[in-house]
Amino acid sequence: MIDWIKNINKDYPEFWKLYLTKFESKSKRFVVLSTETTGLNPAKDVVLSFGAIGVVNDTILIGDTFEVVILQYKFLHDHGLSNEFLIESKQTKLAEPQAIQAFVDYIGNAVLVGHRIHFDIEMINEVLDKMQCGRLKNEALDIEIMHRKLLDINDKMFSLDELCKVYKIVQNERVTASDDAYSIALLFLKLKSRLGFN
Amino acid sequence: MSNSIAERIADFLKEFLPFNHLSHDELIEIATSIRVVNLEKHKTLFQIDDKLHDSFYVVASGVINLSVVADAEETLLNKCYTGDVFGLRPFFAKNNYMMTAKAREESIVYALPIKTFKPFVAQNTEVLDFLLESFATNTRNPLDKENRGKLITDNVFSEQKSSNEIQYFQSLSYNKTPLKISSQTLAKDAAQLMTENIIDSVIITDQNYPIGIVTDTDLRAKIVTGRFPITVTIDKIMSSPVITVPENVSVAEAQLLLLKYNVTHLCVTGDGSDKSEVKGIIAEHDLIVAQANNPGVLIKEIKRALTAKELKQIREKLTDLIQSSIVKNIPLPHIYNISGEIISAIIKRAVELAILDLGSPPARFAWLSIGSQGRKEQLLLTDQDSILVFEDVAADKYRDVKDYFLKLSKRATTTLEKVGYNYCPNDHMASNMLWCKSLTDWIKQYDNWMKMPGEKSNEISSIFFDYEIAFGEGKIEDTITNVIFKNVKNNALFFDYLGNDALKKPAPLNFFKKFNLEEEGEYKGKFDIKTRAIMPLVDGARLLAINLNLRGINNTYIRFKQLAIVDPKFSEVYLNCADAFLIFSKFRTLEGLKNDSSGQFINLEEISKADKEKLKNTLSAMKDLEDLIKDKFQLTQFS
Repeated sequence: MIDWIKNINKDYPEFWKLYLTKFESKSKRFVVLSTETTGLNPAKDVVLSFGAIGVVNDTILIGDTFEVVILQYKFLHDHGLSNEFLIESKQTKLAEPQAIQAFVDYIGNAVLVGHRIHFDIEMINEVLDKMQCGRLKNEALDIEIMHRKLLDINDKMFSLDELCKVYKIVQNERVTASDDAYSIALLFLKLKSRLGFN
Repeated sequence: MSNSIAERIADFLKEFLPFNHLSHDELIEIATSIRVVNLEKHKTLFQIDDKLHDSFYVVASGVINLSVVADAEETLLNKCYTGDVFGLRPFFAKNNYMMTAKAREESIVYALPIKTFKPFVAQNTEVLDFLLESFATNTRNPLDKENRGKLITDNVFSEQKSSNEIQYFQSLSYNKTPLKISSQTLAKDAAQLMTENIIDSVIITDQNYPIGIVTDTDLRAKIVTGRFPITVTIDKIMSSPVITVPENVSVAEAQLLLLKYNVTHLCVTGDGSDKSEVKGIIAEHDLIVAQANNPGVLIKEIKRALTAKELKQIREKLTDLIQSSIVKNIPLPHIYNISGEIISAIIKRAVELAILDLGSPPARFAWLSIGSQGRKEQLLLTDQDSILVFEDVAADKYRDVKDYFLKLSKRATTTLEKVGYNYCPNDHMASNMLWCKSLTDWIKQYDNWMKMPGEKSNEISSIFFDYEIAFGEGKIEDTITNVIFKNVKNNALFFDYLGNDALKKPAPLNFFKKFNLEEEGEYKGKFDIKTRAIMPLVDGARLLAINLNLRGINNTYIRFKQLAIVDPKFSEVYLNCADAFLIFSKFRTLEGLKNDSSGQFINLEEISKADKEKLKNTLSAMKDLEDLIKDKFQLTQFS
């Protein structure tokens, strides 16, 4: 409650104010998220693309997807990477602030789901910070942790590929953030029913 | 916004009917509206009398079983594999589901909303046709695989609603151009006409309405006996009225009518009464053909089959045959016999097909099935085991000859793999260099195995001592048998080895007389009936049969029966083992048929308490066999 008052006083961008109002009710929607980043350091690295897909009532909604490639000109330039794939790909391309805004609009108050999701959230929070917004308020579920819970072990890491193998999910050979998001969504459904929570 | 997931799904759908009739853009639109549903094993998607869902389904991965419940018994109608469409009822009917859709294994299905899909159906007749057909086949008898996607009549789904016994609904093909004559035709001319057309019946019509029928029986009973001259008009000797049926009669109905009226022919008319046009004639023979899953027909089909695909269809029919035989409680030894013969025929045909491809073999040879098929104890699809023995050839030719036979084996095993027999994981197949060699080499091989068992050949499995010729020279098989029985004389070491091999299988029951279940891995909590119950019996029977010189008897059941005769002192033990073997095999086969698996692991939770007790009692009988073996061979060297 106090949080909310603090928010009111600050001069946030419009979309962020709208985002905050969405948390007055609880969501039944999950958004499965996967990002491609330039590295693993939230302070230095940047997000290259988002892939996300909605899950409602234990079903994956193919119509409810979000995929955006972020034009990180500076990064690509600095590292001398070819941006051919950006020009060639049919995916929606946006600059970083617009992409983040679209993403925030898309997720609303849904529960975020991902593989090592806290890293993704951290990356997004970095950008939000630059945009004079607060941090993401969404609840988050990590499928790696769910899997560990199911097996009742704590000390082992499971990559996405390993998890897919365990649950016999066939992955696509062209792996984009969206493909990963879809695989994670399937894993999420399987883990969710095995762990028996709704 | 672009949606690459929808594109992936559209690409997937494009591979399958009816979606291949739609354009890429249309598929994207459909894919975008899809919901993806994950089903755990044994999870029900919808069941009989559930309210209709707002979507129909496509299997993305896994297997969905469709079944109906009749007389409190669940009957499997169809199994849906990747790409199959099911749950079409909401398209065509308003009342609740009439079948149950259940995941047989962990599955993923796509739910396609009816609302999105309907416009495409309306615009595209091919799609509509396909859905109608699938709707019919999804509800039809699974025995009918070839007729999948072929409709008998257009009004199948109106028929559908009224009929509860859909499992009997099976296509019935019959003669659609019956012989028709007028009532004033002479009997002699009618008989001539029937003879020329090789048809045993003729319908007497009046303005194309059937008024009577004459069959061979009528001619025999009324003409040949001399009661009527051959110049009598046909209306004097015809049977009247004719029993008429509508066009879309089911096999079951036709059968009942034949029995009820004690006739051999039914006349098909436009509306099923005798006041409408004649459309065809159903003879008893047509009903037999419709139920063509009988062993004779299968063997005939095998002999004619030209591709692995045809053989595969026949193998599937055999599975149906085995299933129905077990349900009808036909004794297992009979089923083993029949299925052994049919599988033999399939293997033989696979070798023949390879020969047809490669040209005739450069030397005489024998293709021996080993392992379970060698014992004729194969009901389920297991892996294939085989060896090839060719006669000795001149040294300079050896390479070419061996080369030919390896090629031949490669082809034959590939064919069998396509039929559904997985490659042997231990590579015990004729296509392996080691198991495709000349008679002399094989004799050496057996000598080695038997004289020095356990030495550098720990992997030799005893399955090489169960063999049955599938193709080629019987003499070669006899030679090998002679070698084996020559070697067993005074060969304690060999029996020691076999005996220990037979006894080292893990025990089925623990100290507290509880089942020993799998403790880890994929089959955790299940009972390994193959390794813990069946194999010890098989090994024991083999050991004792070789020891007591029982030649040419490879079947475990018959081995025990025979042992009881030649070794009467222990006949009780042997007879118990014979029974035990049948009981275990039946459990395994039922499990295998239910889950399309090799039936090795049984879920004890799924079987009734009485059955569990029965299993347990049978298992304890095996103890006697174990003691008998220990006693007889005084196992030492390897223990």
